[in-house]
Amino acid sequence: MNTIIQLVISGLLIGSIYALMSIGLTLIFGVLRVVNFAHGEFLMIAMYAAWAFSKLLGLNPYVAAIAVVPAMFLFGALVYRLVIGSALEKPHLVVVFATMGLSIFLQNIALMAMTADLRDVPPIFGRSISIGHVFIKGELLLGFIITLACTIALQWVIKYTFLGKAIRATVQDGEAAKLMGIAVPRIFLITFATGSALVGLAACVMLPLFSVFPTVGLNFVLIAFVIVVLGGMGSIEGALLGGFCVGVVQSVGSYYVAPAFGQLFFFVLFLLVMIFRPNGLFGQKGAATLGMNE
Amino acid sequence: MTAMPERASRFPRISAMPQRGRISWFEIVLLTSCAVWVGFGLAPALQDVAVLSFLFAGLGLAWNIAGGCAGLISFGHAAFFGIGAYTSTILFQSYGITPWLGIFAGAATAAVAGAVLALICARLKGPFFILSSLAFAEVVRIIALNWPSVTGGAEGLSIPPVPDLANMVLGSKPAYEALTLIYLILAYAVMRWLEASRFGFYLFAVRDNDDAAAAAGINPLMIRSSAMALSAALTGVGGTLFAQYFLYLDPTYVISPELSFQFALLPAVGGLGTAIGPILGSFLITPLSELLRANLGNAAAGLHLVIYSAGLIVVMLYFPAGIAGALEKLKSRKPQP
Repeated sequence: MNTIIQLVISGLLIGSIYALMSIGLTLIFGVLRVVNFAHGEFLMIAMYAAWAFSKLLGLNPYVAAIAVVPAMFLFGALVYRLVIGSALEKPHLVVVFATMGLSIFLQNIALMAMTADLRDVPPIFGRSISIGHVFIKGELLLGFIITLACTIALQWVIKYTFLGKAIRATVQDGEAAKLMGIAVPRIFLITFATGSALVGLAACVMLPLFSVFPTVGLNFVLIAFVIVVLGGMGSIEGALLGGFCVGVVQSVGSYYVAPAFGQLFFFVLFLLVMIFRPNGLFGQKGAATLGMNE
Repeated sequence: MTAMPERASRFPRISAMPQRGRISWFEIVLLTSCAVWVGFGLAPALQDVAVLSFLFAGLGLAWNIAGGCAGLISFGHAAFFGIGAYTSTILFQSYGITPWLGIFAGAATAAVAGAVLALICARLKGPFFILSSLAFAEVVRIIALNWPSVTGGAEGLSIPPVPDLANMVLGSKPAYEALTLIYLILAYAVMRWLEASRFGFYLFAVRDNDDAAAAAGINPLMIRSSAMALSAALTGVGGTLFAQYFLYLDPTYVISPELSFQFALLPAVGGLGTAIGPILGSFLITPLSELLRANLGNAAAGLHLVIYSAGLIVVMLYFPAGIAGALEKLKSRKPQP
């Protein structure tokens, strides 16, 4: 029984971190209606940045977030300016191929600059915290708290600020929003950059837990897509719920079923969700067939 | 935040419509000059490049059947390539069956895998199909890596380099040039047949509007799976040719996402849904890549992919219909007689 409780709790905690990494994707999808295939590579770049900060300046990766998050915001804005913005005005396949190209581009730039070696930082918290019979890694607990804080803050911005109102108006009806004097391209730019900044935050939380290497994005982007589909495309609370589900399934699954096949887990889970629940847990219609008759 | 308006229908499509009966002089001249090049054994220094250009043009055409004609954008075709290569090689090594027969077995196995992928992803379109195909290929790669008794695992399989026509180990570069050119022409012929046949029209119809196609009495699922099977079979044939040329196979290259990306890149740059596009794409990109590899070697691992992907982004943003589309546009600008 204790094992089960332990597994579920670590699953929930790791799931919250997966959710943090998926929120950027779901936000960008919800507002711009495009899928950013380079999302995993954004995470990879941000993880390298956090790693460089902690290596060169001896900073704790959590402190590095102060620099990494704004840097990723600017990076996102740059990518939007150079690629996404102009691709938005073209058929959907253009966005698909352009972001796919971007993903390969960033992967191989990283491969050239950093080689294929695994990089990581030493653990931040020496020992696990124990509550009763349950042991909790400090990094996971902190990640959980950061995710919750971030979700609440994001929801608050979307519900109560002028910017949030403008974003919601753009989602509901882009044309009408334009007529009301909302600069829709600017909203898109801000959303895309915010999504990238969130990935930057996720990277700082994930670095103490996972090693970084040029193709690390591929594993995580599939998980992010599973979470986004399960929770409903574009829904932030949904991403949190989806993250919890995936985390628990992974932690229980890898304990009872062959942990040696951990590498397969992400891919098989993705395929299973795509086969059996392509419309998400809450049956959001058309989620999986979205976005492309060209 | 969950409203679902579609931004799709406002834009013109970039995948070409079927070019029925319009084999231009340009294409005839291009393919004939390839045959002349091979026949006279021109430029011995470039024979490696020629073999790969022909092979990848064929593979690009194979991808284009699924991606360009049926709208099944796949980033997992390396799985079919690997399945074809491994099937013929394993049949040859373990059972002594000549690759001339193994190539058909490889194509059939790849076709089955393609149909399975299309069936399990029946409900998916767009981004989700792309990611599923990627995940599918990764699953195949990890299985191949962890099944050493059959696939040789990470060490790979090698074919003894003893030239023997009966075992498809040709031993001379011009012979391989001829073989891969035949493959290219076969793939081109299949594509041209598709453009003129009923089945091909079904494909284009399903790609452009599967609801309307279903209303007209076409079974989109059947059509999609058959297209995927055909495309996978041709890719599997390419896999066997690759194995017989390099005489060595390992999962990390043969079933890599990079390879899948290259298959998709050639038609995307050349022109989606056209017969000439993948050929132009391959003749442009494959020599460039080989040149880079030869001159920079491992000093710049990944550089060729950096250049490819940057090229892909630029082409997509400025010439979304590819080289073939740009040529078409140039032609239509000329004054009509």
